[in-house]
Amino acid sequence: MPGMTSDSGDQNNSLIPHSPNAQPITYPLHHGLKPPISRLSLSWARGNTLRVTVLRLPQPSSGGDEEAGGRVVEVKLSNNGDGELDDAQWRRIAYGSVTPFALLQSRKNSVSTLSKISSLDNREWWQYIMEYNKEINSLLGGPKLSPGFAIEDPKTVLKAVKKPTCLKAAWELMEIFYADQQSQSWIPERLLDWLADYNCLLSGTQPTVHSKLVDFQKELVAQQSVEDHPKYWEAISSAVAIGWLDIGVKLLRLHGSYDFDQLGSRETENGLVEAVAVLISKMPRLRPELEPDKLGECYKTKPDFMKAWEKWRAQITKLDCSGFWLQCEHHRTRDGLKSILQIMLGNSTGLSNATLQWMELYIAHFLYIRPFTSGLESMYNLAQKCMQIKPVSDHHKLTGLLIGILGENPEAVLVECSRSFGSWMMVHAGELLTAGNIQAELLLHEQRKLLGGICIEELNRLIYAQVLCSHALTWQIAPIYLSSCIKQGMGLLETVLCKQALQHNQILLKSLEICRLYELDSISSNIMKITGVHDWKHGKKGSGVFWLQQAQDEVRLNRIAKQLFDFVGKSVSDESFKQWEGLIELLGSESGSAGGLEFLNKYRDFRRSLHQVYSGMDTDAAKKAAEALISLMKNPSTPQRFWLPILFDSLKLFNWSERPLLNVSQTNLLLNKLQELSMAKLQPDFVDADLAPEALNSVRIAIATNLGRAILEE
Amino acid sequence: MALTIPSPQPTSQSPPFQLRRLPQDHYIDALRWLPQLSALHRHILLATFDSDTSSSSLQILTYTPSTPNSQPPNLPLQSSYPTSSRITSLKTLLTPQSPKPLIAASTISGSLLFLTADSVNGSLDFGFSVTEKGFHRGPISGIDASENGSLSVGEDGRINLVRIGNGEGGSFQRVFDSNGLVSYSAVKWASPFEFVTGGLGYSLHWWDQRRPGGPVSQFKGNWSSGATSGIVHSIDIHPSRKHTCLAGGSSGTVFAWDLRWQQQPIILSRAGTTDAYSPSESEVWEVQYDNYTHSSNTRNFSSSRVLPAMICSEDGILAVIEQNEVPMELLAEPCAVNSFDIDKQNPSDVICSLEWESIAILTRS
Repeated sequence: MPGMTSDSGDQNNSLIPHSPNAQPITYPLHHGLKPPISRLSLSWARGNTLRVTVLRLPQPSSGGDEEAGGRVVEVKLSNNGDGELDDAQWRRIAYGSVTPFALLQSRKNSVSTLSKISSLDNREWWQYIMEYNKEINSLLGGPKLSPGFAIEDPKTVLKAVKKPTCLKAAWELMEIFYADQQSQSWIPERLLDWLADYNCLLSGTQPTVHSKLVDFQKELVAQQSVEDHPKYWEAISSAVAIGWLDIGVKLLRLHGSYDFDQLGSRETENGLVEAVAVLISKMPRLRPELEPDKLGECYKTKPDFMKAWEKWRAQITKLDCSGFWLQCEHHRTRDGLKSILQIMLGNSTGLSNATLQWMELYIAHFLYIRPFTSGLESMYNLAQKCMQIKPVSDHHKLTGLLIGILGENPEAVLVECSRSFGSWMMVHAGELLTAGNIQAELLLHEQRKLLGGICIEELNRLIYAQVLCSHALTWQIAPIYLSSCIKQGMGLLETVLCKQALQHNQILLKSLEICRLYELDSISSNIMKITGVHDWKHGKKGSGVFWLQQAQDEVRLNRIAKQLFDFVGKSVSDESFKQWEGLIELLGSESGSAGGLEFLNKYRDFRRSLHQVYSGMDTDAAKKAAEALISLMKNPSTPQRFWLPILFDSLKLFNWSERPLLNVSQTNLLLNKLQELSMAKLQPDFVDADLAPEALNSVRIAIATNLGRAILEE
Repeated sequence: MALTIPSPQPTSQSPPFQLRRLPQDHYIDALRWLPQLSALHRHILLATFDSDTSSSSLQILTYTPSTPNSQPPNLPLQSSYPTSSRITSLKTLLTPQSPKPLIAASTISGSLLFLTADSVNGSLDFGFSVTEKGFHRGPISGIDASENGSLSVGEDGRINLVRIGNGEGGSFQRVFDSNGLVSYSAVKWASPFEFVTGGLGYSLHWWDQRRPGGPVSQFKGNWSSGATSGIVHSIDIHPSRKHTCLAGGSSGTVFAWDLRWQQQPIILSRAGTTDAYSPSESEVWEVQYDNYTHSSNTRNFSSSRVLPAMICSEDGILAVIEQNEVPMELLAEPCAVNSFDIDKQNPSDVICSLEWESIAILTRS
């Protein structure tokens, strides 16, 4: 089946590829409950996890209720990445890319405000882009270790390196074409370096030069005179064809004629091998510099390079026509060297034979046939030609990306990024795409009705932010991306914050901090209200009051105050009032701080002074208590239901033997309160205090007595 | 979260130090240096949470101080002990009875674990745990361990004491229960009988076990007139100045409360005020006295002056603050610094855990 075309046809019809005969996957549940299980409920949890609630039949409790009645377990459905990077590595990339992304956004914003006055400083701009690119690139893997010689062991042709990732390879392709302005004049050489680093990734189903060399290296260890093997010459040809000159030269120097005992008898042969090796290592390259262990001679400008190129070609031709070949008795050596020379002379059949995949042939063409190729159009045409010679049988994501780039088709690039590398790549590579490419910028920044008025760039960021939010450890970095979405970002951020599960204090405080940073005051007060009510309901009364106070939620505080007075009212005359002290302390004494709750603070002060009165017979203390009583009764926030108990507790003050503690107007105030109270008794919502029925009478008599004494005194 | 908000106040130049960030594959809930017996074996204790498997564990990593031109340390894992739920607070303790350091760890489900660590080969051995139902309801928010026992406090308003080392492992004593009317978030021993708790509304309570039934002394930060108040997240008490208690909490607030002048706390740092420098504007998660930093103002050195202290905060700051001095910023990370620990034996070395699943090691010179 020619998979490629029919596959993509299917994908066009349905968003998610569906295979009808896929095996169902079983996820074991570890709930640890004893049967019988009566109910099972399923719901989606964060991201890719299912929340399964397992409930047992309610059992009649038999004393020790050790067995839980149910349990909630989360089942993580297998992630559908290609397995190149595990979750922890992805998170590390996500964390690391936050700072460069945010920095670039803020620079962009400052540039865009400046550019209205003056045209933006081009060089500075590209410097920003390159800085961003470098930071992100370094996250995707360590410094590149290209295949090269290990000096220690002459028979190790390729260094064993950790397999690079397609993600990094793709990023570097984007870098070459979209970010790095300095390399525009030597893109073919950049591609050569790129292929040297990532050739091994292309050998999925088809062999590559890299895989060929790896295979050959295994055989090399066991071989004595390598030059007798045709594979040896093939390996050199392939390496030279795609510009791995150092490997070619190293292999040539393994030639048997270099051995001490052979040098005498194979002098001419050795001379030819060495001549080819020298010519290879002197190859002119149109690039500013080379890594130290690479071979070739660099030329920065085209005229210099052209001169050197002609000279080098002339040397090759001269060697090709030299008479020494006739004296070379080793046929394989002669043929092998001759074919290498053909490659260096740009013989297209030779190049085609030496390379295995179109991209290798493409590089070979750049090196030996069309070294002056520049411009995307001619590069694209050449790529097409190479693909005709070496047709691709399966679609590789990296070649797909390269074709999209060469074809100057940003849409294709985006599709390939989205399909193969996911939302992270879409957001971060999007920055490179739009950096200088007007076509891509138009594509990404055009507001679309189909997307609800947002542009593709914003859509990408929204999607990525949602991916981040789906994980408990990355949701906190989503706001950085959401805040760069002009139209819908803040709305989504509010939703995310509102839906945050706030089981733990730390998460709560972290959410509030995000609210503070983005000035989402209403959200933060909502979160506080939710927490307050939750804590109040779950027995954490102090914490509940604290959060409602923070949210300045008068309505709920008033309601809570009513409940609180119930508790306090019951414990008014016993010692357990002491345990309320902490909460009352928390409430603070500022008036108006929280719906009537400041009453508790005054009430506490009153009780304290009253306590002192009962412990001693000090008139000063009694005077203070009387003052506290009056201020309490004057305060409008003192609930009516407390009036009688407070007055009843103060009986001793009214009957103070030394002298009356309250003057006439103060006593009148108290009498008025009593009057009000008896009126209120007729109201339907009146709450009667838990006092003996004669309490009211004794209070009335005591106040009346005090009034009489006060009048006499005055 | 810290990004995009630059530090609003000046910070003094910090002396040179070596910094290494070491990414981990899991979230770090807490971390400590393990008390060391020999200079050869240094270990770091981590409480980790693996979000992929929803499993948590205590881990001991070996730390080898590196010379400037050697490879960065990779902290090989020595041993790991799986815990039933996530760790909220971690303390280590060296007792005279045993050469092995004791580890106390509180969990989010309200239990307390005691383990011993072998600091020679870095192994972890389970000691005992307190998991009874009546111990704590909900998460334990703070613990402190000393020879007098391990104190634990929670949002449920309970203060419990677990005696260590006399063979009666697993039983606890209820010091106080506020029935949820007051929530506690931090606790610290001050003397064999006294300790301090911190909680909502920047409150500090001073307790004396010889006078049970309630706090001996109370403090509430009323400086925030108006609605916004905050929470004390961490307390430290210097062994040489037991009457002064250092507390760090919301809005970059760090203050010292001296029992001798109870009504006048010394504010070392607080966001939005002009009378104190504030390196942070957000939650200060941890405070510790910093024995390594010598007061720059030694002439003014008196017993009333607060010793230098290190703080870490939600907005990514690790800094050393001093009374009336410009704070010294050691780290300004793009993510939260959730906790840190100064090595008691080598106070030049500091480890801290970062929100983005990594730890950082600072070596001051």
